[in-house]
Amino acid sequence: MKLAVFVSDFKLASDTLDRLKADKLGIIFVANGVYHATTKENGKSSSLLNKTPNLYALFEDIQTRGMNDEDVDKRVKVVNYSDVVDLIFNEYDKSAWI
Amino acid sequence: MATLTIGCFPGLIGNMSYDFVVKLAEAAVNKGHKVNIWLSGNAAGSVKAHQKHLKDYSTGEKHLKALIEKGVEICTCEACTVARGIQKPEGIEKVQWNAMHWYLAKIHTSDRVLQIGGE
Repeated sequence: MKLAVFVSDFKLASDTLDRLKADKLGIIFVANGVYHATTKENGKSSSLLNKTPNLYALFEDIQTRGMNDEDVDKRVKVVNYSDVVDLIFNEYDKSAWI
Repeated sequence: MATLTIGCFPGLIGNMSYDFVVKLAEAAVNKGHKVNIWLSGNAAGSVKAHQKHLKDYSTGEKHLKALIEKGVEICTCEACTVARGIQKPEGIEKVQWNAMHWYLAKIHTSDRVLQIGGE
């Protein structure tokens, strides 16, 4: 199964993500979840960025928080709503929101 | 064209997840997909008509009407809605009122489902 997980909060969601089994896991950072893609704590990036190479962050939610593409970790692809629709329909079989 | 059903279970208007649902639905329908939205919990409060649209404040009515015009099916949980003191004659025109079986039926016939919230 190809699973896209929407992460909408800046709390670490590792426990939940570790329980989700997928052949292909994608993480889409939205709302306050985009801080995982932009913010380091004590010099360290969010551990969620190590969960999968398939990382995305919603540009509108980055911009709303006063940041831009340059603030986003290089491992994360910046996407818009149209891209998210394509991810849901074309890249992943199932979607989950945490 | 494929079908996306979104279950919107989070907070009332002004809630970030609610805004996400509206914007994702708009993006999907603009790409030619069929979209269904199920409003439950506090999201059901957004179906009341005659909302005042304040500058820089997120409200539901204008967006829901625009989505309906584009063919998005929107249904509110009737129990959630009347529990919040909103009766059907007060609701936005063309928003459907039904029970959970509406959502389950849409899930069953959709290509993709995204359930948001649930607190």
